[in-house]
Amino acid sequence: MIPSTIDGREPFTTSGTIAVANLHAQIDGLAARLLRAVPGPAEPGPAEPRPAEPRPAATGPAVTAVAGADWGAFIDLLTLRGQVLGRVADYGWAAAIAEQLVRGGAGGDGTALLARARSRATFHRFADALGDLDAAAARGGADHSVLEAERAVILQATGSYAEAERLHRNAVMDRPGFATLGALAVFQAERGEAAEAEGLFDQARQCYQGISPFPVASLDYRRGLMWHREGNLAAAAVWLGASRDRVPAYAPAVGLLAEIDAAAGANYAAIRRLLPLVSISDDPAYAAGLARALRAVGHHREAGQWHSIAAARYDELVLRHPQAYADHAADFRRLEPSLAERQSGERR
Amino acid sequence: MGDHFSSPRVFGDPAADIADVFVFPRPERPGRVVLVLTVFPSATVTSLFSDALTYRFRIRPVTVAGPGAAPGYAVGEDEYTFDFTFEGDGVGGLAQAGRCVTPGGQEVVFRVGDEMAADSLGLRIYAGARLDPFFIALTGVRETRQLGRLSFKPTDTNANEGQNVLAIVVEADLAAMLGAGAGPLLAVIGETVTSGRHPVRLEHTARAELKNFIMSDKQHDRVNQDIEIRDLFNSEDAFGLAPYYLDAYRARLNANLAFYDGLDGKTDWPTGDRGEHPLTGFLLADFLVIDISKPFAEGTYMEIDRAVLAGRPHSTSGGRPLNDDIVDLLFTLLVGGVDGPHISDGVEQATQPATSGFPYLASPNPDPPPLTPPFALPPVSAQPLES
Repeated sequence: MIPSTIDGREPFTTSGTIAVANLHAQIDGLAARLLRAVPGPAEPGPAEPRPAEPRPAATGPAVTAVAGADWGAFIDLLTLRGQVLGRVADYGWAAAIAEQLVRGGAGGDGTALLARARSRATFHRFADALGDLDAAAARGGADHSVLEAERAVILQATGSYAEAERLHRNAVMDRPGFATLGALAVFQAERGEAAEAEGLFDQARQCYQGISPFPVASLDYRRGLMWHREGNLAAAAVWLGASRDRVPAYAPAVGLLAEIDAAAGANYAAIRRLLPLVSISDDPAYAAGLARALRAVGHHREAGQWHSIAAARYDELVLRHPQAYADHAADFRRLEPSLAERQSGERR
Repeated sequence: MGDHFSSPRVFGDPAADIADVFVFPRPERPGRVVLVLTVFPSATVTSLFSDALTYRFRIRPVTVAGPGAAPGYAVGEDEYTFDFTFEGDGVGGLAQAGRCVTPGGQEVVFRVGDEMAADSLGLRIYAGARLDPFFIALTGVRETRQLGRLSFKPTDTNANEGQNVLAIVVEADLAAMLGAGAGPLLAVIGETVTSGRHPVRLEHTARAELKNFIMSDKQHDRVNQDIEIRDLFNSEDAFGLAPYYLDAYRARLNANLAFYDGLDGKTDWPTGDRGEHPLTGFLLADFLVIDISKPFAEGTYMEIDRAVLAGRPHSTSGGRPLNDDIVDLLFTLLVGGVDGPHISDGVEQATQPATSGFPYLASPNPDPPPLTPPFALPPVSAQPLES
């Protein structure tokens, strides 16, 4: 089949550069307001230990419950920035807040549990995340359709495709729109049903009525990822490029475009894509990719530096989030042994 | 929170999120009217207007509905708009450029952050970050809504202290600009509308807290307990609501307005046989009404509305001045009736009240929390990268 190309019905969205600047500002502004009103967890840096003793998020049950909803919105923004810029630290901050909200008693109406479910799913703690969704549903307060959408994504990630598909299709029947059609498109894309996924991606795009560029950039990235997995690199490049054009800093798209470049031997192009990426993202995958590309063009000393940075970051992430990063770290070790490890292997 | 965060749909793009709309006569200069639209709650000084939106003021002449009609306004057919659009993404520290299209179709180009006096058109324009003039004892309001009784402290803290917004301010001689047939009563709405080939209204705002206080709570609504109704309402034309969701809006307002009325333990707004609250229809016609023939005064927010509800002539310019305590005025109206005893949330003014000189809103908080990288940056390649 011939994949769709971008037609003239492009969603009209805010400049990706403006949107990223405003996302930073939104997080900073909300953080100032929330931290002043209800002291919560500070932003943890990678060198800092995880908060050992979560503090209550507020005093008084009424304040705590409402503050939980506000923190939930803040968690959503951090997670969005984590996705867009590839910042694992934002995911970690969101997870720490969600954990403290639930432990501090803000889970009374289910919204904090929903937030924790999302953050746990981000770090591949799928069983825990499903438990939180069950608890959130039992307590009420969180939108049923939102809970079901989260459940579908987790079931999909754990290979429970039949149940995930049922939830996705029910959602499309009940509320046809960008979010539900896009979720079903991604589901079909991950299952290798590219033909149906293409139609769904198109339908979802045509339904978009917002002006935020992030949802469209994310959808186009997932479409590009699908074609990359299908081996159609030309189609992949079209949609990854669309994603990157809409949000120039969109890390997943830029990273995969660099991977395609490197696979085609265009290592300098890959390096040019990855250099700005590693300055905004702390995902070691990009540092590892940069190390590979630099090594391929003979810049061994610099490649070694980036390899070390990636290795240290993988070590740290495996300790913090083993379910999410153990496999990636193992792949990194297998595919990208350090210079010392390679020399050792050669001696053997 | 005014109209801050009133639309889940635009939460992902805060530049589309209207915080408040204000309209008032220029102090000391009767005849000139100031329109203010604030967006991007909790903005920083680096926040930017969207380049995919039209920020719009809609103005229509209104008259008080005649004797025998339900309290309210008759809205005229003629409409006048000020449309604002923006370009530029701030890269390199360059300011955004703005464009204002007047009701007469004239264009004024200006730079964000700078005042622009378009003397030939009798306009003054400003757009940029300013201190948010909205103030509220949020904890007291939340506890009141959750506990079902007035829970305000005598004095409390402004939850919005130090927060910035992006503001659009336009000052014009509306009487001259709109012609003799317009006024003295004008209805004003602020909107954010997508700028693409198929414009979509993302938000409309006029009266403060209609969506956040009165429309958002679901638990009292026995008809639709699981609908987030604010997105639907935001997409409506406030000068003429479509019939599709009217019953849902009415059910939500009837339930929640009765809840507010009962906060003092007595009924000041008796409902009809089918539970219709006397304010429901009045508030669903959501626009600010200003009398442009009256001079500026503070404390005039909803004074014209209250006069119409009471069946008496109004005495002020109405509208919404920047420093009015809308939380007190709204709770007083909803809980105690048109002339009920004053209810205070314990916060009487913004930490830095708005000024009497253009652009009226105080300068932005220059010290927002710094944006710090969450990790140490590795060294950047110094080697040439030529293929």
